[in-house]
Amino acid sequence: MTRYVERFNTGERVLHWFVTMTFFTQILSGIGLFSRLFVGYFDLFGGGQGAILVHKYAGVLFLASSLLLFLNHRKEISVLDDDDRFWLSRLGGYLSRGHFEENNGKFNAGQKLFGMFMGASTVFLGITGLIIWWPLAFPRGIVQISLLIHGLIFVLFFMLVILHVYLATIGNPGTLDGMIWGRVTRLWAKKHHPKWYKERAGQEKTT
Amino acid sequence: MAESRMGFLIDTSRCIGCRSCQVACKQWNKLEADKTANKGTYENPGDLTPNLYNRIRFIEKDDGGGVKWFFLSERCVHCGDAGCMKVCPSPGALYRTNEGFVAFNKEKCIACKYCVSACPFNVPRYGADEKVSKCHLCSDRIGVGMAPACAKACPTQTLQYGPRGGLIAKSKASKKAVYGEADLSGLGVLYVLDDKPETYGLPANPAIPTSIFLWKDVVKPLGILGFWGSVAAVLFHYVTIGPKKLEGERSENGGVRHD
Amino acid sequence: MTNHWIDVKNADVVLIMGANPAENHPVAFRWILKAKDSGGKIIVVDPRFTRSAAKADLYAPLRSGTDIAFLGGMINYILQNRLYFEPSVKKYTNASYLVNPDYKGPGELPGLFAGYDPKKRSYDPKAWAFQKDADDKVRKDPTLADPHCVFQLMKKHYSRYTPEMVSNITGTPKDVLLKVYETYASTGKPDRAGTSLYAMGWTQHTVGTQNIRAMAIIQLLLGNMGVAGGGVNALRGESNVQGSTDHGLLFHILPGYLPVPSADLKDLSAYIEKHTPKTKDPMSANWWGNRNKYIASYLKAIYGAKATKENDFGYAWLPKIDPGMNASWIMLFDNMARGKYKGFFAWGQNPACSGTNAGKVRKALGTLEWMVTVNLFDNETASFWKGPGMDPAKVKTEVFFLPAAASFEKEGSITNSGRWAQWRTAAVKPLGQSRPDSEIMNDLFYRIKALYAKEGGAYPDPIMNLAWGYAFKRADGTAKTVDIHAVAREINGFFLADVEDKPKPGQPRPKEKKLLGKKGELAAGFAQLQADGATSCGNWIYCQSYNEKGNMMARRVKKDPTGLGLFSEWAWAWPVNRRIIYNRASVDLDGKPFNPKKAVIYWNPTAVLPDGKFGKWEGDVPDGPWPPMSNEKEGKKPYIMRADGVAALFGPGLKEGPFPEHYEPLECPIRENLLSKQRINPAAKMFHEGGLPDDVFASSDTRYPYVATTYRVTEHWQTGVLSRNVPWLLELQPRQFVEISRELAKEKNIRNGDTVEVSSARGKVEAVAVVTPRLRPFKVAGATVHQVGMPWCFGWFTPGVGDAANLLTPTVGDANTMIPETKAFMVNIKSKG
Ligand code: HEM
Ligand code: SF4
Ligand code: SF4
Repeated sequence: MTRYVERFNTGERVLHWFVTMTFFTQILSGIGLFSRLFVGYFDLFGGGQGAILVHKYAGVLFLASSLLLFLNHRKEISVLDDDDRFWLSRLGGYLSRGHFEENNGKFNAGQKLFGMFMGASTVFLGITGLIIWWPLAFPRGIVQISLLIHGLIFVLFFMLVILHVYLATIGNPGTLDGMIWGRVTRLWAKKHHPKWYKERAGQEKTT
Repeated sequence: MAESRMGFLIDTSRCIGCRSCQVACKQWNKLEADKTANKGTYENPGDLTPNLYNRIRFIEKDDGGGVKWFFLSERCVHCGDAGCMKVCPSPGALYRTNEGFVAFNKEKCIACKYCVSACPFNVPRYGADEKVSKCHLCSDRIGVGMAPACAKACPTQTLQYGPRGGLIAKSKASKKAVYGEADLSGLGVLYVLDDKPETYGLPANPAIPTSIFLWKDVVKPLGILGFWGSVAAVLFHYVTIGPKKLEGERSENGGVRHD
Repeated sequence: MTNHWIDVKNADVVLIMGANPAENHPVAFRWILKAKDSGGKIIVVDPRFTRSAAKADLYAPLRSGTDIAFLGGMINYILQNRLYFEPSVKKYTNASYLVNPDYKGPGELPGLFAGYDPKKRSYDPKAWAFQKDADDKVRKDPTLADPHCVFQLMKKHYSRYTPEMVSNITGTPKDVLLKVYETYASTGKPDRAGTSLYAMGWTQHTVGTQNIRAMAIIQLLLGNMGVAGGGVNALRGESNVQGSTDHGLLFHILPGYLPVPSADLKDLSAYIEKHTPKTKDPMSANWWGNRNKYIASYLKAIYGAKATKENDFGYAWLPKIDPGMNASWIMLFDNMARGKYKGFFAWGQNPACSGTNAGKVRKALGTLEWMVTVNLFDNETASFWKGPGMDPAKVKTEVFFLPAAASFEKEGSITNSGRWAQWRTAAVKPLGQSRPDSEIMNDLFYRIKALYAKEGGAYPDPIMNLAWGYAFKRADGTAKTVDIHAVAREINGFFLADVEDKPKPGQPRPKEKKLLGKKGELAAGFAQLQADGATSCGNWIYCQSYNEKGNMMARRVKKDPTGLGLFSEWAWAWPVNRRIIYNRASVDLDGKPFNPKKAVIYWNPTAVLPDGKFGKWEGDVPDGPWPPMSNEKEGKKPYIMRADGVAALFGPGLKEGPFPEHYEPLECPIRENLLSKQRINPAAKMFHEGGLPDDVFASSDTRYPYVATTYRVTEHWQTGVLSRNVPWLLELQPRQFVEISRELAKEKNIRNGDTVEVSSARGKVEAVAVVTPRLRPFKVAGATVHQVGMPWCFGWFTPGVGDAANLLTPTVGDANTMIPETKAFMVNIKSKG
């Protein structure tokens, strides 16, 4: 028995990093539009028009890949059980240094919520994005609301992604391995996702 | 805005709908003619277009047994607090001239079309060049001491250009109510109307659309706060509470093997 | 205009009727708004609620072609309510004249005046003569009480024009009618002035001239003549139409309103005898008494040194018309249609669009051997042979097109409606091969002359003897370009010999001979013109415009000492820079202005003249230097162009009677004239008997039930030849349209924007329906009458705009001028979806 358990297969990992890339492309190309504070980011794309161009087409890739990502993990994230509710009530134990006994499946409640948020946000960003792509083709009110929603989701999305990145990296050492190599240590798995680990272990025995 | 703000008064009670202004504008700005059709009204083209910065609206209104016919020069009103400028992401694409009007620079325009949505008066238009176009109050004429082309062509002094305060004072002295004196920090283009603003298709209380306000005046600053806030929060978390360490890993590092 | 554009600002009431200045004179409309700014009231009377009406204080709708009924009602209102300005009426008009007791009016005869000959469709004006006493002086009743005096006859005549009657004819609601009357009649007070602005809406009727006379009567009654903010003011349809009329555009007048001689006036003395009015009244200036000087100076200008006393100054060479001949526009094309002409110059005109009954005009052009069109752009006339319904293979007319320069491409003067001649320099060079008209004419002249010299001809003398010295000459003597200043100098006139300044009768002869002018000097004014051939003058009314002090028309001084906007040093106005004509009617017998606040002129009795005499006029240039009428020796009556010095309320001058009387248009919606048995103008020339098939008309005919009128729109110019070639203007008004009321639209199931077909007895035109509350059905003679209107600025030559509205208009004209009746005719309308 190795020290590791398999967490994400190659396909899943490639898709995640593809989504990440397009997401950050969206961030970088969109942020100049969001506020003049970030107007310098246009230079990355050779100017505002370049940024918009990239944003539109990378946006389509993001929309497609992120939706796919969501659909792939749909089953794993869509149900919150009692353990998840317990996790949530303690905010994942992140607010204290003390030991936190959690009994998560493959994903903890925070991840599930983030996944759901991401799926919904992708859809909303996509719809509103397509509307503001052709602002003259829609009633003014619709475009105005779309701009608001697109900007609002961008803000929330970016904030959650910062959290997501933190928790996936230095906040929870060992987590990033799963998304890079596809495997995590048994210790990590037992600690963070004991329920899932037990399932995995059971599977390993039967095979 | 400074005391020296210039203004442009449209006294509709003098307008005879001759549309000299409409044509003079095209001539000065070298704008192509649009292909139009008579759809049962004198008003043509039926809307502002990328080639039409200023157009006269012909408004018929039943009035007792009779009728009234109003003419209104529809155009950018050069808001003091301009929605278009508020949302424009590209510095210098829409800018305020020394005289206080809102002009544009096609070279800086990045074709995002945000201004289209943000304008309370639905003014900016985009042409085949995908660049903003609208009345710029002849920024290239007034800058060198000439009257705007439309005002110069107007035979009835419906269109008057001058110090904003003076125009307002003059209208008030002749007992004419002025539309746009205080709205949106004062419109650069003021109207004297013969009827309610709504009759002319003007908003009674012009304001930047709420969603645009929320987007740019609420979400944007809070958002920026949010980014830095999240970054700060995670850093704070890292140095105060710290990461969720794995006991075994640590012991592994210490040479203890678990299994 | 008796007054001028800027003067409109002085009016207390502006009556716009038969005109639409907001649309057709937008630049001048500022002066109407200025009147409004200072509290004046604007009244618009029009079948349609126009852009002018949009700015009016009071709008009155009226059915096309019923203006005399409307104005007659106003005369009645003024007389019944004694709102006229008595001092003026009594002293400055012929109100007190006694008319021949046999005279009868349309109230007594069935719609006719005495003296009518139905076979000739004309009157013998002797039946309207004044009573004379033994020494041939007109008998008067200064109290205006005599039942035969003009005033009483007028009162009787217009008593038939009750508000009820007028409302029933015109369709104007009675209350609106009375409001208009009340407002306008308020200018009968000396301190108030009313001005009348009219254009083609009054002239283009079978009763056009009488429309204007009706207004003239109102203005005379209210004392609105000669005053600031008054007058009868024709708004000319083109920037220089006044100038072209002054210079003899019409078939029956030479430059300066000298009549074209008719062939029965064999020599100059016969011409002068016939056309020089006489008076025995020492108080009448009788200015036309100077006719001999003007015609002699004109002939000298035309034939130069070839015109001598011996050969009657070349009078024989002047083209003549046959006695009673009618050579008007309508007749010209009637004759052309009958194949009477070989060739035709369409110079700066587009008759295939602008001519009434344009279908007939287009056919007529096909009978020509050749046609020369001089224009800025190709158009419906130049290309008539490939127009709708034409078979180019069958049309034999050879068409030449000469490109002409636009007004901005050449130097010269234009005379605006207010008689101001303004000199303009060329702004840009003519485009391509186009040339100024004067150059084209100059070339044409030399070529025709050379042909006559080479080949002879029926009568070469008028051409061979023409004085033609306008061109700069090359070294070899051949003509180069035209010196337009030479033309201006010839129009102004100059001395051909030293002329002595003869003392007036009764004055002592000065010791030294004083010269009026030296040979070669430009004349300073028409008072200097001579009857003996010592002066040359191309147009006496323009004498002074270009004199030794320089080109007066080029002046641009913005001084307005009176504050009335006379601007006497801006350009130059005929006659002798008088800005308001008949201004002697604005002062009382002592020369005191009736309205001292807006004094056009006043007599200053204390001013000392160079010759030591006292008294002179101040202000505008008066109608002659003579002192006011209270000076019984030298004073003169105000209307100096009339033989008797007073204005004619009762006028024997016009074809259809001494008072304007309402007659229906040739095509009208009602079977009977509500006022009398005579439905249409009894003196108008009728074309249908012995006429061409195209001359058909349909009156009170169920096939054509709707009253129609035509008009211009701001966005296009005349037939649109200039403006249809400007895409910016086509963008504004892209297609032929017809304006109809919502009521008619409902009746005919027409939606706004639908394409409809408008048809008359003569043709049909496709148009877009503009359904609008600005037109309303009329109640006429108890029935509903619908009115529609169309612009006449479109033509087939511009793709997609539709064809000319004049395809619908009838062949009939005013009894006096033959201006076509395009403002009232009958049509049908049907939806094409
Ligand atoms: C789902 C696919 C997406 C599409 C189709 C899309 C499309 C667009 C479009 C068309 C615009 C307007 C750009 C323009 O024409 O000026 C826009 C603006 C913007 N997008 Fe996206 N976008 C997508 C996803 C994202 C993502 C993932 C982010 C980052 C989280 C993002 C952030 C922004 C921002 C910040 C703006 C500027 C508008 C504002 O200030 O709210 N977008 N997007
Ligand atoms: S009217 Fe519209 S385009 Fe003009 S300044 Fe105001 S917001 Fe900008
Ligand atoms: S030019 Fe003046 S009068 Fe004419 S339409 Fe424009 S604003 Fe009105």
